[in-house]
Amino acid sequence: MFLLLPFDSLFVNLLGISITVLFTLLLVFIIVPAIFGVSFGIRKVYMKTLLKIFQWATLRIERGAKEKNHPLYKPYVNGIIAKEPTSLEEEIKEIRRSGSGKALDTPEFELSDIFYFCRKGIETIMDDEVTKRFSAEELESWNLLSRTNYNFQYISLRLTVLWGLGVLIRYCFLLPLRIALAFTGISLLVTGTTVVGYLPNGRCKEFLSKHVHLMCYRICVRALTAIITYHDRENRPRNGGICVANHTSPIDVIILASDGYYAMVGQVHGGLMGVIQRAMVKACPHVWFERSEVKDRHLVAKRLTEHVQDKSKLPILIFPEGTCINNTSVMMFKKGSFEIGATVYPVAIKYDPQFGDAFWNSSKYGMVTYLLRMMTSWAIVCSVWYLPPMTRQPEEDAVQFANRVKSAIARQGGLVDLLWDGGLKREKVKDTFKEEQQKLYSKMIVGNHEDRSRS
Amino acid sequence: RAHGAHPTPSPLSFPPTVTSEQIEHLHRRFKQLSRDQLTIRKENFDSIPDLEFNPIRGKIVHAFFDKRNLRQESDGLADEINFEDFLTIMSYFRPIEMNMDEEQLDRFRKEKLKFLFHMYDSDHDGKITLQEYRNVVEELLSGNPHLEKESARSIADGAMMEAASICVGQMGPDQVYEGITFEDFLKMWQGIDIETKMHVRFLNMETIAHCY
Repeated sequence: MFLLLPFDSLFVNLLGISITVLFTLLLVFIIVPAIFGVSFGIRKVYMKTLLKIFQWATLRIERGAKEKNHPLYKPYVNGIIAKEPTSLEEEIKEIRRSGSGKALDTPEFELSDIFYFCRKGIETIMDDEVTKRFSAEELESWNLLSRTNYNFQYISLRLTVLWGLGVLIRYCFLLPLRIALAFTGISLLVTGTTVVGYLPNGRCKEFLSKHVHLMCYRICVRALTAIITYHDRENRPRNGGICVANHTSPIDVIILASDGYYAMVGQVHGGLMGVIQRAMVKACPHVWFERSEVKDRHLVAKRLTEHVQDKSKLPILIFPEGTCINNTSVMMFKKGSFEIGATVYPVAIKYDPQFGDAFWNSSKYGMVTYLLRMMTSWAIVCSVWYLPPMTRQPEEDAVQFANRVKSAIARQGGLVDLLWDGGLKREKVKDTFKEEQQKLYSKMIVGNHEDRSRS
Repeated sequence: RAHGAHPTPSPLSFPPTVTSEQIEHLHRRFKQLSRDQLTIRKENFDSIPDLEFNPIRGKIVHAFFDKRNLRQESDGLADEINFEDFLTIMSYFRPIEMNMDEEQLDRFRKEKLKFLFHMYDSDHDGKITLQEYRNVVEELLSGNPHLEKESARSIADGAMMEAASICVGQMGPDQVYEGITFEDFLKMWQGIDIETKMHVRFLNMETIAHCY
């Protein structure tokens, strides 16, 4: 026992020194830049290095598989067939135009109309869109995470060593670092907002609260090693507007809020989330709903409208899909936020799955497991596009407006624009939707029919 | 026709333009639909949620089991189909090839139109009667609860008269138009390039959009 003492103190000393060094590094390279919004560009260099390594690893696997004659499982992300992007109306008009050459203002039922539905039916039989969206996007190159590789077998010593090294780095170096940062970020947020909350209402308080929020979100961004590229920042949301974005994971909030000032909307949670929420609302007015209030759509709409009409309050951040989608498509937007009548600022967020899959499959993983997965990935790389603001036109209703915004977001982010309800993840098809396409089609035929019989 | 435990069939009976990779894809899809059985029945198509939307869902599923489409000698409906039958139906939707000559093109087109004709002609008598036409129109417009049955009927009747005038020309007041035969059907589709539109294309391997 006594013999161990000198080794003990040496060990303790080493530990103490390394922790101090770590924290100094943390402070200098991560926290201080986060406070001032500067960046050293370390993350970008990191990303480029990783990419080169991934490329090498993928080549190695393919070569190894060929040598051993293993079938490589190559999943097709976008489905196996090319679906026409034209709509029902356009296609039917086109077919009729080419066929009978009749004037388009006297259409009636044509024999050829059946063709569109027939083809669509066969397409869905060949390849189904919906169920594919709800599981994590499948990658085509290996990113050294065994959770994403279906071909992972022992291919070569070098590859396995590399993978082992990757595991070591991710779990023993990056993970503690990130947890420390996250801890710092959250505690700063809670204390900072509480302190600011004691100040009297006024310009000073607003200024401080905005910056406290921003600083803490920036620290959290670094805690996840998120490498974000913002496009078109001149379109960022302004006061009195609603910011609308597609939803892939809870991280979306951090990503957007680290580049702008927003008022959050959400349900009141218990536990740590609740503490954070209560602290945040002291510094500036966020909109938190009790669980019982969420069901009452009128109450929700009223509170949001009140917030939006007060021009001194920050723009609201809302995710209208209602649930997390796997970032290959945009599902139906719930119309609530589009009925309020404020200017909508759409934002498209697209993650690059090569570095870490950000999709939260809430039926598979709980929040804590999810966060751990995020923190043990290499990085989160994503792009954010701020689209020009949109307002509801007089002749369109909330649903059409929502769809218009959704298409813009899908187009910009390179995501597939689906008419489906994200809630399908848990429920079955609602019967009301069966009528959608048929209504549209029959409106085309009957509407014109009625016009003709009237004239 | 020996079927082991799902061997991947070779593309013998199909034109060489359907690659073996594409057949593998379809095979995987077939297995998914059949839940790993060797044959598919009508009920298996219920597992495709997107298909619920389609107003002529019934007719499309029916087409898979229609023996006329399956190129079998007998008539009527099959109870279940295997992968080869599945591929036979899919082959009606293969895209046009660049190197087809006139005769091949014509046959190609006729095949596709025959498929559509069978969709209309539900009693397999080789003619689309007024009643069958009405059925199709009603199905296509069935989703609209505000539409009266009478309106759907009158639309169908109007369209049928139009078809008659194209095919037979002016009819006397006592003449009864029996139904659209396949030849008449072909006439009505003249000018519509069905062969360039009635197909489903396979995608090539696409790379994911990169963000940087």
